[in-house]
Amino acid sequence: MARDAWLHRGRTVAVVLAIVVGLAGAGTVLDAWALLRRVTRDGYLATNPASATLHVDSVDDELLRAVRALPAVREAQARRTVLAGVRIDGVWNTGLLYASNELKEQRIGTLAHEQGEWPPTDGAFVIERSSVDFAKSGVGDSVLVRVGKGSERHLPVTGIVRDQGLAPGWMDHVVYGFVTPATLAQLGAPSSPNELQISVRDRSLDREAIRAVAKEVRSVAIRMGHAVTSVDVPVPGRHMHAAQMDSLLMTMGAFGVLALCMSGFLVVNLITAMLTGQLREIGVMKAIGARPAQLAALYLVYALALGVIASAVAIPFAAYGGRAYARFAATMLNFDIAGYAIPRSVILLELMAGLLLPVFAAAIPVLHGSRIAVASALRDAGIGGATSPWIQRIHGPHRPLLFSLRNAFRRRWRTGLTLVTLASGGAAFLAALDLRASIRDSVGVIYDDMLRFDMSVRVDTAHDADSLGAIVSQIPRIERVELWSGARATLADADELAVPFSLTAVPVDAHLIAMPLLRGHVLGNAGAPEVVVNTRLAEEQPDLAVGARVDLSIGGRTSPWTVVGLVESAGPQAMAFVTRASLAHVTGDARVTTLLIRAASRDPAAHSLLVTRVRDALEAGGFAVGSSQLSQTNRRVIEDHLLMVGAFLLAMAQLTIIVGGLALGATMSLAVQERTREIGVLRAIGATPRAIMVMVQAEGLLLAVMSWLIAIPLSLPVSVLLARAFGRIMLPVIPTLVPQTLALGIWLVVVLVVSIAACAWPASRAVRIPTVAAIAYE
Amino acid sequence: MPPSTAVQAHSDALISLRGVGKSYTTHSGSFTALRDVSLDIARGELIGIVGQSGSGKSTLLNLLSGIDRPSSGELFVGGVAVHAIREREMASWRGRSVGIVFQFFQLLPTLTAIENVMLPMDLCARWPSRERADRARGLLAQLGVADQAHKLPATLSGGQQQRVAIARALANEPSVLLADEPTGNLDSHNAAVILDLFAALAQRGQTIVAATHDAGVHRVCTRTITIVDGRVAEPIASYA
Repeated sequence: MARDAWLHRGRTVAVVLAIVVGLAGAGTVLDAWALLRRVTRDGYLATNPASATLHVDSVDDELLRAVRALPAVREAQARRTVLAGVRIDGVWNTGLLYASNELKEQRIGTLAHEQGEWPPTDGAFVIERSSVDFAKSGVGDSVLVRVGKGSERHLPVTGIVRDQGLAPGWMDHVVYGFVTPATLAQLGAPSSPNELQISVRDRSLDREAIRAVAKEVRSVAIRMGHAVTSVDVPVPGRHMHAAQMDSLLMTMGAFGVLALCMSGFLVVNLITAMLTGQLREIGVMKAIGARPAQLAALYLVYALALGVIASAVAIPFAAYGGRAYARFAATMLNFDIAGYAIPRSVILLELMAGLLLPVFAAAIPVLHGSRIAVASALRDAGIGGATSPWIQRIHGPHRPLLFSLRNAFRRRWRTGLTLVTLASGGAAFLAALDLRASIRDSVGVIYDDMLRFDMSVRVDTAHDADSLGAIVSQIPRIERVELWSGARATLADADELAVPFSLTAVPVDAHLIAMPLLRGHVLGNAGAPEVVVNTRLAEEQPDLAVGARVDLSIGGRTSPWTVVGLVESAGPQAMAFVTRASLAHVTGDARVTTLLIRAASRDPAAHSLLVTRVRDALEAGGFAVGSSQLSQTNRRVIEDHLLMVGAFLLAMAQLTIIVGGLALGATMSLAVQERTREIGVLRAIGATPRAIMVMVQAEGLLLAVMSWLIAIPLSLPVSVLLARAFGRIMLPVIPTLVPQTLALGIWLVVVLVVSIAACAWPASRAVRIPTVAAIAYE
Repeated sequence: MPPSTAVQAHSDALISLRGVGKSYTTHSGSFTALRDVSLDIARGELIGIVGQSGSGKSTLLNLLSGIDRPSSGELFVGGVAVHAIREREMASWRGRSVGIVFQFFQLLPTLTAIENVMLPMDLCARWPSRERADRARGLLAQLGVADQAHKLPATLSGGQQQRVAIARALANEPSVLLADEPTGNLDSHNAAVILDLFAALAQRGQTIVAATHDAGVHRVCTRTITIVDGRVAEPIASYA
């Protein structure tokens, strides 16, 4: 057996390679899953995340002491969060500054110190790691910061920390910084704490039980004369990005399992090839007394040995890939990988898969082969065997080509497996390309059609719309300005700790936002108490269904509203839209906070200049600018990172293509081996080596084209599933239900090239078969 | 003059062998299959090559068809120095000049009878494509299997398959028809029919060399050549 493996080294290597590719693909995902699971569960819990956060007018030592004295509360700490402007490349971006006197002794949501000094000294800025690239500032640099009407100050970046509780800065386009209250005071911002974070003593409490504790804390604060504006109680122990990570891993896992299954198909083909080549040996062994069970055991042990070799190669590869992928995912979702040791149970699972895959895959052909009658095994097969009459239905004007076409269907079971394998690779590849196109299209739809503004500028405090409008109207090269405001609302009959949602108040003739209407109608009557919700909010708050009449609590007042429409979401945020007039009617405040601007020019460079001009004009007019964002920057950052995910999926798809190519090569190699006699006869009746090579390649190309055709419809459900998974992770992606012409073209070229490459060796082998040997069987 | 076009100037024979030998080297040592064979075969002859298994009959046919190369000596077919034809030209030469009939028929199973006959025509493009089907039909009719033209080989009897195989061998109007045990897998009736077909073809000028164990070959052959241990045994019987 070992000698045969050595004699047919190519085939042996192909079997091992097939298992390696499938196992490495699936193992990469499994290892990444194991590492990330540990991060999301153990790593996140190790930071002692806040069980609840109360937004209070101010938190003093007395309140802290009172809360810490509550039996159900284990820890309590206070901090202030301030919205700031951070200047990056001449443009002001949003910054969030976290200040506390207890940064060093932080016991809730502990931060990981990564570089430089910690905690910050007065006047220094410690940046959160996920913001480093976005801010283009690391240790040794400085950031220009401004809060409201305060003066601009250069703060030296003296350290880098990681806060696993924050969404990545690059994704939210926010610079997160940690400063002392004294630094806030230097910036002219209020410095007393306004957030009260608590962790509960009993870690086994569920969300409802924690809400009860939060209510108790809220009561204490109110009793002590504090105003509590909102209370957030997240799902305990579950990282805010756990769902996204699960979706991402499930998507990747599907590719890994696909690669593993395809490897299984390939091993079946290759073991069949091995048995075909050893039919005579099997006959001889049976003739001298070998029992079917003995023969089966012999070949299954051989398959097991191949599995051992493949596992030895694949498991280290999987560990390397898994670590790289875990690192990528962690960076993307602002996790911190605590350790890179792959759990033993996972390695054991991979080893079992690596050992059992070839054994199970070999079982059917081995059992079939070991049961073959001695006479059949010893008989010279010659040319022929049963050929189904239906094969005559395949017509063609050129007999050598016709021979290739019909040959492709001689072993229908094997052809089917090869087609399934190759088409699965194609479907995965097409779906990954479709997803990439869908992401581009969806981001395009969001930024071109739905969010039509080029920049948004947020003033530090609310102002009269006419005054702001008057200043901006003086600035040239602006096509349109819309002035928006907003508020936070909760359903009036909801629990007092209900999570509030954003109400965006837009002009009744708003043009700079145009979400596709899914149900109902858009806001039409300026003063009517009508609300339009996006799909995210509708999912989170089922009571806000179209047609529902609801009482909303806005700024402490309750007012009746009617949900009149449902629109598509432009991102992961849950949002509701009302007219400015209707919100003003309820709150009695008609002032606005945000200017949305569409430039006359489509040139991105002009937008950067324009936003600076708008900020300068507002500042000159006495309006402090809180932050500003360019849509093009947001778009680019989102695209870059989303496409990175697409690229990972594409890499996994390429794995499946490799397995598909191996399957095709194995099938053709097997076909050449089985048709040695026919090839000899063809040579004898005048077929040149080139003609033989063309015949083998033509057969491979036919299978390739057929797999291409099968892959097209197969890719559609895969695309939809990928788009859905992706939508849950990042932003709504509309799957392209018609495969991209370019993607189809690319896959056709790829599958043809793969076919030519995969058939090159079988074809050259066919040509090298000496005619005299090929026809000398008899 | 390139080797493939070298001609034999000194003989009128269609096939001429001069001191041809063939040795093989195996793991167990050198083995000589043919030794110093010299013979001439005239156009239109039906030659029977007889001898025991392993005597060298098939080796001789393989050398005549260019499937194998002589280790020594010279071999001419139709004036062409077969021993000197370059490998890449050999298949084309063989397809046009030699027709081969095998013991086990060796029809390609996925092609119908007529498609099998047209296959060599497609490979060598000796006839325009529009004429190939008519020619194939004519050959099948000539061999008495026209009604089997559109059947797959597996549905034909052994005798019918061998007739189709002969039609395939004649497809490119080769100067020589080589048959290796053409009746070895047929019953006596079909064997006799095939040998009669060979005789009829030879009478029409077709040169045929058939290696066989069939005693009936003496009945139809113009000559038989007996090979013993790789040598041509004397005397060469002539029935002409």
